[in-house]
Amino acid sequence: MTVLSAQTVFYYMAAASVTSAILAVTRRNPVHSLLWLLALFLHMAGMFLLLDAEFLAAVQVIVYAGAILVFYLFVLMLLDLPGEEARPRFSRHWPLAAAVGLSFAVLGWLSQIATVDPVGASPDAKSTASAAPPQGSLRAIGLDLFGPFALPFEMASLVLLAAILGAIVVARRRTTRS
Amino acid sequence: MIVPVNVVLGLSAVLFGIGVFGFLARRNIILMLVSVEVMLNAVNLSLAGFSQHLADPSGQIVALFVIAVAAAEAGVGLGLVIALNRNRPGAGVSDLTQLKG
Repeated sequence: MTVLSAQTVFYYMAAASVTSAILAVTRRNPVHSLLWLLALFLHMAGMFLLLDAEFLAAVQVIVYAGAILVFYLFVLMLLDLPGEEARPRFSRHWPLAAAVGLSFAVLGWLSQIATVDPVGASPDAKSTASAAPPQGSLRAIGLDLFGPFALPFEMASLVLLAAILGAIVVARRRTTRS
Repeated sequence: MIVPVNVVLGLSAVLFGIGVFGFLARRNIILMLVSVEVMLNAVNLSLAGFSQHLADPSGQIVALFVIAVAAAEAGVGLGLVIALNRNRPGAGVSDLTQLKG
């Protein structure tokens, strides 16, 4: 793929992800909202591919689009929210929320302009980037994950175990008391 | 490096702002959690952009941990939603005005 067409694909995915994120947080029907979230996840996986993060793209599709989103849809249909479409979508203070979101976006934008430009201008980063092996990042990720990041990796499994137990305890039907 | 890292970080900032707006403005708890997922995805995108920019795979590993924490958050959050819905049908945050279970 030439650089120009890759850039075109990236900008398409950027525009599509922003559009689907806006639709996901503003649609009235929760199921439509979750389907737009699925579109956001898939476009994000495509952008990870273009950013040379193949393993992250695969995990994004498998874990986010495959597990988390199905879990959300499952709970949504389990609850069967009555009259959700008739109620107002946003709280009364939604202009305030829009202002806060906009200021977050502008702050992030300004900070990346302020901080990243000197790093991008330094020749060191460019030279190490070109010296990196072109075989993809999977081998490096595996070596790091079971080398210097082995303890955080095990901590992640503990966090997941605690979350499983917590979810069971919280959502359990209390039959012993009633 | 097909796009400059500034573009990736700017896109991440915009997506994060959209997520913040959704979290603060929506009234449905499930859609508030959806907005949190949008924010986490924006952070993952900036981590992947930095990882490519600095040619360091640590960013992608941190993004993997963010995905693991997002899975844990979805599990606990939706468990809480189910427990709340059992006591008080409907998933609007404005109905939850007392801490009593």
